[in-house]
Amino acid sequence: MHLPPWMLPAAFVLLARGIVGIFQKLSTNYISAESTLVWLIVGFLLFEPFVYPGHDLFQYSGRNVLWDLLSGLFSNLGALALFAAFKNGGKASIVCPMTALYPLGVVLLAPLVLHETITRLQGVGDLLRSDSGRAALYVRHLGSGKRVQRVSV
Amino acid sequence: MPWVLFAKLGSVEIPSAGMQFLFTLGGVPVALALLIDRRFHLEKSGRGIFYGLMVGILSAIGTLALFVAYRAGGSASVITTATSLYPMVTVILAVAILRERLTIVQIVGLGFATAAFVIFSL
Repeated sequence: MHLPPWMLPAAFVLLARGIVGIFQKLSTNYISAESTLVWLIVGFLLFEPFVYPGHDLFQYSGRNVLWDLLSGLFSNLGALALFAAFKNGGKASIVCPMTALYPLGVVLLAPLVLHETITRLQGVGDLLRSDSGRAALYVRHLGSGKRVQRVSV
Repeated sequence: MPWVLFAKLGSVEIPSAGMQFLFTLGGVPVALALLIDRRFHLEKSGRGIFYGLMVGILSAIGTLALFVAYRAGGSASVITTATSLYPMVTVILAVAILRERLTIVQIVGLGFATAAFVIFSL
């Protein structure tokens, strides 16, 4: 079976971010959501010397630099909201699957903004994904009976 | 969610390392705003700081790998959806490490997520 070239780094993303979810929960057990985000960004900054592109940085077009800066800005605003969810008692096994539903919006917008096409099979994959996320939103009150509560998205 | 679209737009020209560099700089204003809002006072819990730093370091590694995936030529919608299945790993680790309980419905959800990842690889 021939895997597409993006598959290996994508699998690496799955592993790294999967572990991150645990550290996020652990961190917010001890410090605030805001502090967690500050330390997250410090952690990111530790990598800066290794990824500094040198003089190439000044060769990039201003528009693409702006896109990337905005990407970092919005990503961290989203992370702050995620940490607040953890800080307010959210379980890692519930909050992570729920917040990971954001690609539904990407799939809807990518054809409009990036002019990408989605195959039917990939559409089915995305539906399965969203179902898995919704399934994770069923919260069972184990200690208080057998009632199953569905949390609407 | 907009960050993904911005990242894909930027990756047209900028290599993965440059993307990572700029992406991090984009987050600095958020950290500065929070520090100013809190008057530069952060909790001094050693464990909290360690876990927070690990979040940053692992996220940086994950983000760099994501940019490599984008640069490898796949479409943003497919890569984003496939990589957003990371809660599978989180849920498994949450059960093993944090002793969180997993319901049958959540286990079914994990099965759906696995199926989705396989389909996206086709």
